[in-house]
Amino acid sequence: MKKMLPESELARDERFVRSKIEDRIFDPRGARIAARNTGPAKMATDRPAAAERSRSLMHGIFVGEVQALEGAGRTCFDFDDTEAPFQLKLDMARQCWDEARHCEISVKLGDHMGTEIGEYTESTFLFAAACNPDPVLRLCGVNRALEGLAIDVFSTMKEFGGESGDPVLEFCEDWMLADEVTHVKMGSDWLRRLTDKDPERRERALEFQRTVDSIFNLGGFRGDDEENVVQLARRFRELAGFTEEENDSLSALARESTEQAREMAEMATAMLDAQSN
Amino acid sequence: MSRVTITPDPFTLVPYDGAVIAALVEDVAAMVEFPPGVAIHVDVDEELFAPLTGHMSDVVDGLAELWISGANLEDTRAPRTFAPEQARLDFAVMLLRAKDRLSDEFASAPPDRELGRGERVAWDVYAVGRAERLGLTARRQRALYDFRLQHGFTDVADAAFDRCWAAPSMTFAGILELCKETGATERAPSKVPVDILRQK
Repeated sequence: MKKMLPESELARDERFVRSKIEDRIFDPRGARIAARNTGPAKMATDRPAAAERSRSLMHGIFVGEVQALEGAGRTCFDFDDTEAPFQLKLDMARQCWDEARHCEISVKLGDHMGTEIGEYTESTFLFAAACNPDPVLRLCGVNRALEGLAIDVFSTMKEFGGESGDPVLEFCEDWMLADEVTHVKMGSDWLRRLTDKDPERRERALEFQRTVDSIFNLGGFRGDDEENVVQLARRFRELAGFTEEENDSLSALARESTEQAREMAEMATAMLDAQSN
Repeated sequence: MSRVTITPDPFTLVPYDGAVIAALVEDVAAMVEFPPGVAIHVDVDEELFAPLTGHMSDVVDGLAELWISGANLEDTRAPRTFAPEQARLDFAVMLLRAKDRLSDEFASAPPDRELGRGERVAWDVYAVGRAERLGLTARRQRALYDFRLQHGFTDVADAAFDRCWAAPSMTFAGILELCKETGATERAPSKVPVDILRQK
């Protein structure tokens, strides 16, 4: 079996459609919408298109779970025992079991909301972070950055379930959230153990984590404010072992990303206006 | 000259064809038996994309004024691509609601931007149920989730949904009564205007 599988070779049946990054970047509507007030992006029942936003995010969570399963599975297989200790692989195998369960839960939540598998496109950013050839960098990108993001996403959806009085969504998200806290702790523990005598490698791993974090803050997707779709879940992040300093730093990064997105939207709108005049 | 007009004309941000949309609206209007003498104007907001969906149906000075987000017409699997079957269902729902507005049963209904969220979704479900019985493909579970978000995840709300979905006829007074029954009337008003997506 092939080691280090690229994202282009992920196995999918005909229901799945891969999104293309260029579709998003070159979509002329993006700049227009960024310049408009479409209301707070935070999930709530009184927000426009609340149900459709919920369905779309839930499908994004589902494909994210599929890729998290694939990523953890690859980590079990891609490295020999000198690169990644057997105990680390056992942790990844346990994570595979969790992610597989999350896939099933997410499919059922999709049914609950009235969607089908493959109804929305799939972006494979998440798996791309799980392709790093250094197991420590991979764990930092996946188990600390992406599983950290999963904490934020599940906490946001759990809150939406509570606000809308949806017990199914609230309970499911709460249970998945508990697993994600464990996954982040695994990442933090292995980062510490594998880089105990190699501070330079640790710094490279943390830098990779920051890069992955920045990608997922893109366009203000995550942050501390109502204008962000996903809220930073500080309390659960603390339980997972992130320090207050790390949470503050992520929050600052998120604000920076939101501001950059706003500036880019203003520039793009000005260009579009200039073209049409 | 067609009684259906579409704006914008032409579309500049998405490759949608106004003539195709107008023909589809004409076809759906015939299917739902929309009064032939009433002109229909459809305003598509082509800037909006998925998941920013929404639509509104009002009757102003005897004209059916329909507004729809471009996201409703877009294939969720292929950005900026027109999805005719999805559009057919949404236009059917919009025209059925506009037809309701022309009847005595809905004469007391305020414009869409003044409807409560519970009132609006109950009316939508009543329309989606009728569209399904006319042969269009509609997903019941999807409509149920929309309904539950505004009326609650309760047996009372689910029973009210069943009534809206299957009702051969309803009145706006009946919708108000149903909202009292599920508790939707007691819910806090929206913090943001319900037509915020329509505001540029």
